[in-house]
Amino acid sequence: MKKKTSWYKIILIGILLIWTLFPIYWMISLSLRNSAELRSSIPLIPQSFATEHFSRLFTEKDFGRALFNSLQVTVISLFFALAFGLATAYILSRKRLKITGGDVSLFWILLVRILPPIAFAIPLYLIMTRLNLIQTKIPIISAHIMINIAFIVWFMITFFITLPEEMEDSARIDGASEMQLLTKIIFPLVMPGVASVAILAFMTSWNEYLYGVIFIQSPKNYTIPLILATLNSEQELADYGLIAAGGTISLIPILLFVIFAQNYLISGLSSGAVKE
Amino acid sequence: MKKILVVTIMLLSVILLTSAFAPANQETLTIAARGGSHVDAMEAVKGEFETANNVKIEILGLESADLKQKIGLDSVNKTGQLDLIMIDDPWMPEFAESGIMANLTEMGYVEDEDFAAPSRAIGKDPYGEGDVYALPYSGNVMLFFYNKDLFDSKSLSVPTDWKSVLDIAKQMKSDGKIGYVIRGQQGNPIVTDYLPILWSFGGNVFDADWNVTINSPEAKAALELYMELLANGVNYEKNDIVAAVSEGKAAMSLGWPSWYISGADAKAAYAPIPGKVDADSELHGSGMIGNWMMAVTANSHNKELALEFLKFVTSAENQKIEATFGGVPTRASVLTDPELTAKYPYFPTLLEATNNSVVRPRTPLWSNVETALGTELSSAISGVKTVDQALTDAAAAITAIMAE
Amino acid sequence: MSLPTVIILAFLTVFPLGYTIYYSFTNFNMLKPKTLKFIGLSNFEKILADSYFQQALLNTLKFMVLAVILETGIGLLVALLVNSLTKDQKIIRTLLLLPVVLPPVTVALIWRIMLSNNYGIINKLLELIGIAPVSWLNDVRTAFYCILVIDVWQYMPFAFLLIYASLQSVPESQYEAAQIDGANAFHRFWYITIPNIMGGIVLVILLRSIDSIRLFDKVNILTRGGPANTTATITQYIYNYGVGNYRIGFSSAGAIVMTLIVLLISSLYVKRAFQRN
Repeated sequence: MKKKTSWYKIILIGILLIWTLFPIYWMISLSLRNSAELRSSIPLIPQSFATEHFSRLFTEKDFGRALFNSLQVTVISLFFALAFGLATAYILSRKRLKITGGDVSLFWILLVRILPPIAFAIPLYLIMTRLNLIQTKIPIISAHIMINIAFIVWFMITFFITLPEEMEDSARIDGASEMQLLTKIIFPLVMPGVASVAILAFMTSWNEYLYGVIFIQSPKNYTIPLILATLNSEQELADYGLIAAGGTISLIPILLFVIFAQNYLISGLSSGAVKE
Repeated sequence: MKKILVVTIMLLSVILLTSAFAPANQETLTIAARGGSHVDAMEAVKGEFETANNVKIEILGLESADLKQKIGLDSVNKTGQLDLIMIDDPWMPEFAESGIMANLTEMGYVEDEDFAAPSRAIGKDPYGEGDVYALPYSGNVMLFFYNKDLFDSKSLSVPTDWKSVLDIAKQMKSDGKIGYVIRGQQGNPIVTDYLPILWSFGGNVFDADWNVTINSPEAKAALELYMELLANGVNYEKNDIVAAVSEGKAAMSLGWPSWYISGADAKAAYAPIPGKVDADSELHGSGMIGNWMMAVTANSHNKELALEFLKFVTSAENQKIEATFGGVPTRASVLTDPELTAKYPYFPTLLEATNNSVVRPRTPLWSNVETALGTELSSAISGVKTVDQALTDAAAAITAIMAE
Repeated sequence: MSLPTVIILAFLTVFPLGYTIYYSFTNFNMLKPKTLKFIGLSNFEKILADSYFQQALLNTLKFMVLAVILETGIGLLVALLVNSLTKDQKIIRTLLLLPVVLPPVTVALIWRIMLSNNYGIINKLLELIGIAPVSWLNDVRTAFYCILVIDVWQYMPFAFLLIYASLQSVPESQYEAAQIDGANAFHRFWYITIPNIMGGIVLVILLRSIDSIRLFDKVNILTRGGPANTTATITQYIYNYGVGNYRIGFSSAGAIVMTLIVLLISSLYVKRAFQRN
């Protein structure tokens, strides 16, 4: 319909991008300067180029293993959270949960998001210790599943309830099974929602700190946020080069995931796959 | 296409899962430590102990608040995950009271006089006289930092009383320099920065009978001086303090030596903190001690071996190595070792300051007291409350905390 | 499929919640489990009467209201703007999302460097245009708003993404029908777009309200509640006077007070959500 993007939109987008990206630029540029340049007055444009901060992260702080651990915890928990969360959201949105508990459970799920993590963490720690699971990654993975399910259910419900129910009914008449209905008809329609919720759930898990610090019991299991946190302490100077380098590396996997998930961030209804 | 993706993801998760749920079981000692140089230093020396005793040493580096939380959580277990714990000096009363540390004296540990006496005192329960529960691992004590070039250009000598500090600050300010840098952020920073001045004025948070004395005339005078120093200076965060004093933008500040050690080439001259109000007044101890202690947990599965490692890691030989990783020694013999003092000329000053240091009040409720006091001090220096009002409110809040 | 959800959530929530409620009526101290005793409502009384808590509560509510309005409002505008672009949508979307995916610790520390009152880049840039350096995080007039701006910077993209996703599910057919009926652009926006994305917007408001009321990371790293307690938040209060001291009884009571406040606020939303059904 529209031919050219108007000039005021270009200006707005320009301002928006400068505002959004300047701190990111600052982080990346700090990570690439040598320590001498970081000491006091830092010029806008880097005057030096160094990879020392990155190499120190991997040699001194064992960042490689932390990257693996973070990926492992994030991928596993995201998989389960999406599987359980999507199904639950769909069922709740269709009021198929005949027990009157539908509303109650929706509210209960919300509680998970509301309660301060510390309120959960201590009793959970005690339970996990009793069950002798504290040495494994099960506690941290289940905590991540828990926080993300709540978010996924709440967000996806708003997508499912906007879907016209007639569509499902006609599919059922055509002899589609429940599973086919879900994977062939429903999910393609809510794909933008699934993609955005997956991005945000990935992000939550990737950056999760409070549960991590309570449940992780061995340096072998450290995730990235835990390592980043130790770079800032009262008794020592903050090593801004390391902090910036850590942030920069931490951005890469999640950025790849965003780029991948972006492909599904297009309109399910207008993409031509299904038209009424 | 989509099926392939799903299958790949599932396969990937299986691979990831198998390693995720396999618990580790070898003979291991686990140490909860403050992240940063302490971990680096221990990692550097642990190898010898590991081979000699056929044991694996795992060091958990944590941010200090998280370290404290972790220690607490683990203490509820019958057999703990943690065998050794690192303890910030103000936490000692809390830990001693609840019995989560093993009694080293009962285990046959004989006190080592080489550790500076004030550091040793922190590790005992009751403070200074009881059995030994923890050994000093890292020997921080607050010092007075100044820029030597600025002082030399005015041929000034290092001040030994606070009135001279203020005079110098004013002089520097009239030259367009920052006279004195306070670390006036709410919470631990401002309390740490103010207490040495309070002590120099002969005041304290409590008297000998634990009555709250933070609204005493001495405390008010000290806070007024502190604010006057701010008027002739600035309020910076620690990285900025070190940068400003090192490069001669600012003249003076208080600080922890570990900042200057970890900051590779941060340069500043140092001296013990002044302990007098003016040239003629009484001299008080004013250098705040802030050691990091290390203890064996009461629920460790192998206390004897843990104690051996504790002795190993605090030995003179290893403290020398640890110093090159940013560790601050706690032994007199190491702090005066000619080889090290050539490299770290402030070590003898550090020992002297430690021997004249003051310890923060030994109450298990200190962290709450510090939070309340920090809030009120911050209100005073930002002009929200008058000095009188702030200290009266602080006294009321601290009294309420101590009433529990 | 939803059975596992129920089981997981029940296992992971029922016990902890039960414990939290139980502890809130006790003086439970993690280091001294043997001294645990039932003390009725006294934790709650102490918290509600504490002027530090009242101030933290006010700060938090003020922060929540401002942050939610700014983030949702700007997020909506940005979503509409990006959605109306004819090209480069994908790359702009990706770039706009960067702040929200950064680790919170890194966000706080990077802003600390930028806001430093000794050579921070923001003061330096302001100096170029003749504005005197500001002590951003140490000044009672600016500290709170600094935290707010950082939060908006970080989470506006969150609002943007969710609203943008909702925009994608507005059925094109409705626009076409409206076009035929001769509705103008504003009418199309008001009668078609808004009702269709309302669920998304309200959800953003709900989630951001819940999350901003738990504000902790930024405050803890940047200001510790100062100067003069102007940035103290409820979570930070609970941390300083409860968890940090192992006083789990006290902190549980704080957590419950906080939960009740959030429930009160979000019940407005929840009511609305069920009316839709």
